[in-house]
Amino acid sequence: MTAIRSHDVPAAGRRSAPALRGRAVDRLWPSLSLAPSVLLFAALTMLPIVNLLAMSVHDVTWQQGTAIWSPVGTRHYAALAGDPLFRAGVGNTVVFATVAVALQMLLGFALALLTSRVFHGRVVYRTIFVLPILVPGIVIGAMWKLMYNFDFGIINQAIGLFGMMPRDFLGDRNLALASVIVVDVWHWTPFCFLLLLAGLESLPQDVFEAARIDGASWWQELRHVTLPLMLPTIAVTLLFRLIVAFKVFDEVFLLTGGGPGTSTEVVSFSIYRRFFTEDRMGYGSAMSVVTLFALALLIVLAQGIARQVRRP
Amino acid sequence: MTEFRIDRRTALQVAGAMASTSLVLGTGVRAQVAKQVPFTIVINQSPWFDGFRKTVELYEKETGNKVNLDVNPFAGSLEKQRNSVRAQQGLFDLLIMNGLFYSEFYHGGFLIPIHEIDPSFRLDPAIPTFDDTVYFDAVSKTNSSKTGKLMSVPINPNIPLLYYRADLYQQKGLKVPTTWDELLANAKALHNPPQMYGIVQRGARGPSDVTYDWFPYFNGFGGELFKDEKSGDFTVTLNSPQGKAALDYYIRLAKEAGHPNTGGQAQAQVIQNIVTGKAAHAILVIAAWAQMDDPQKSAVVGKINLALPPSAPGFKSAPTVGHWLAGVPKNVPKDRQQAALAFLNWFQTYKAQVDYTKAGAPPVRLDVMASDMAKEPANRWMTPMQEGLPLGRQMWTIPEGAQIVAITELRLNQAVTGELTPAAALNTMAKEIHEVIQKGGYKTGRLPDLT
Repeated sequence: MTAIRSHDVPAAGRRSAPALRGRAVDRLWPSLSLAPSVLLFAALTMLPIVNLLAMSVHDVTWQQGTAIWSPVGTRHYAALAGDPLFRAGVGNTVVFATVAVALQMLLGFALALLTSRVFHGRVVYRTIFVLPILVPGIVIGAMWKLMYNFDFGIINQAIGLFGMMPRDFLGDRNLALASVIVVDVWHWTPFCFLLLLAGLESLPQDVFEAARIDGASWWQELRHVTLPLMLPTIAVTLLFRLIVAFKVFDEVFLLTGGGPGTSTEVVSFSIYRRFFTEDRMGYGSAMSVVTLFALALLIVLAQGIARQVRRP
Repeated sequence: MTEFRIDRRTALQVAGAMASTSLVLGTGVRAQVAKQVPFTIVINQSPWFDGFRKTVELYEKETGNKVNLDVNPFAGSLEKQRNSVRAQQGLFDLLIMNGLFYSEFYHGGFLIPIHEIDPSFRLDPAIPTFDDTVYFDAVSKTNSSKTGKLMSVPINPNIPLLYYRADLYQQKGLKVPTTWDELLANAKALHNPPQMYGIVQRGARGPSDVTYDWFPYFNGFGGELFKDEKSGDFTVTLNSPQGKAALDYYIRLAKEAGHPNTGGQAQAQVIQNIVTGKAAHAILVIAAWAQMDDPQKSAVVGKINLALPPSAPGFKSAPTVGHWLAGVPKNVPKDRQQAALAFLNWFQTYKAQVDYTKAGAPPVRLDVMASDMAKEPANRWMTPMQEGLPLGRQMWTIPEGAQIVAITELRLNQAVTGELTPAAALNTMAKEIHEVIQKGGYKTGRLPDLT
């Protein structure tokens, strides 16, 4: 075996100092060129959170046009557990997100399955199913508020035709949250439908053909072929919808204002009330921080589950 | 809780004197307005807004000065005002502040005293000071015309009055109620749901719905929020026997003669019910009047009449003041401050106020209400309004109002919808308000819980 000394290496293969420097710069260049954007992004996302954290351990008052920050330690966080609005908000948000998203997933998947098998007029069907998601939130609020109106609403007029008494959809505390969920389902089912339809249409057709040749029924095909193949898409759609559903605000704000009582109070709306309406910036920040961490935890958990599901 | 210091006689005397002074001295002529830079008013979309908008347009036409209106919902207007005054330089040059939240702008030091913009500016004597809420003494933190500086000019004299169906009263031979018992009896006599509700109350939980609606009942039964706010005793007396009587009555009225969904009725729904002819009574702000006789908006043109809110025997009617004040922020350029003040100076003239009235908004000048305009059938609201203004009561004058109203909106709504008993709602409110007041450093206490 012949030892190879450095000076035996052909000139082209030798790494001269300038070449090494050049390679180091090449390696660093992507990071260096991205650094300004990363720093800007970090500043824009992290600074508000840092500010929120700082504010959450202070009381902020105003004197002579100047903000006075008085430290309160963890008092705001300790008070959260006893806050009836926050407690009601957490409970209602969980119910709202769970029920609304479950219904949206079921309906969205059913519509996607139906539409994927329709070949004539599919563009028309898809356009109709997608329409609600295109309507601005403020219009949805106004429209459904009118439809739900006790005295003049079209729903009560319709049920009146069958001799039924009018129902107080938004004013009855037993019905109000369900009524808001109906609006959310109407609004967001198209989102689930679109994602799930895209997933369905990208599935390999040979697997389905093989199943049919093997004599699989419609139900067996759905249960043993479609669903397992669709699980990653379902998981991602579910995750997206859950995140948005936990942040629900506009529908509650426009339809019920959190009432009657606290029956439709949701976390985002409680934060809005405490932070903006009551001008309790410190306390509102503490509510925001807790909600932010809860959502982050939810995302991490959901991503973990999604990874497990995707694993073959 | 505070009461206007002007009594009815004084108010009428002032109005009469002002009307004659206007004629003699020629102050009825509009103020000459110099060319000003454009400025922006931030305002909420109240029922009286349309009248205000038309008056602003008139100002622009007459003076050639440009005014921008930034129009928002009630809560949105407050948020925009807060954001603007807390910035290095404000966006809005004239803030239209509600009687519920003006004090936080005074206490926070965000407004410039009017005389610092123009030392010659005078609030017209025909305009009431609304229990001196236009003044603020930054040292004693009180509203006082004696020691305080002029901070704002009234824009709207909102008080609630009893709207009732005069045609149905005539048909049934009913007498205009002056006591709560009489109102209940009349409302029951006309109650025929779902075609006609005896009364529609504003019981929803909102920015200030059920609270503003309930306070005339509360004060009309002799209740007080604080023991003696004027002298600095903020002992919470909400859960008094008078408070209980008022809340019991309010709920009974809703159950026996009211809308089946009182807990879901905000101001818009109450107005909707009365203009569509589905409500025989409502205690509504005077600002809603413009819609009653408008054939485009009302099915009951000429059928509604107004009276003072009733009261319990031995107590005065107590319409709750929900007035609006216009103040100029410190953090806007001087030329825009002057432009805003030039508008206010024009706005408070007799003629501008007459035009404001004709445009459908209630005027702030007492002499306009005492003028011949009051004799016109379309202005049949002016006489009860004149009678009601001196009786007007403020809910509170402290900057913690936004926190207090959040408490009362929730708990009163829970009582109206049956989620809490009246006693539990009152006790809870008293406890929560006491905590807010205690945290604010006021001298306070609270009554023992009601059982």
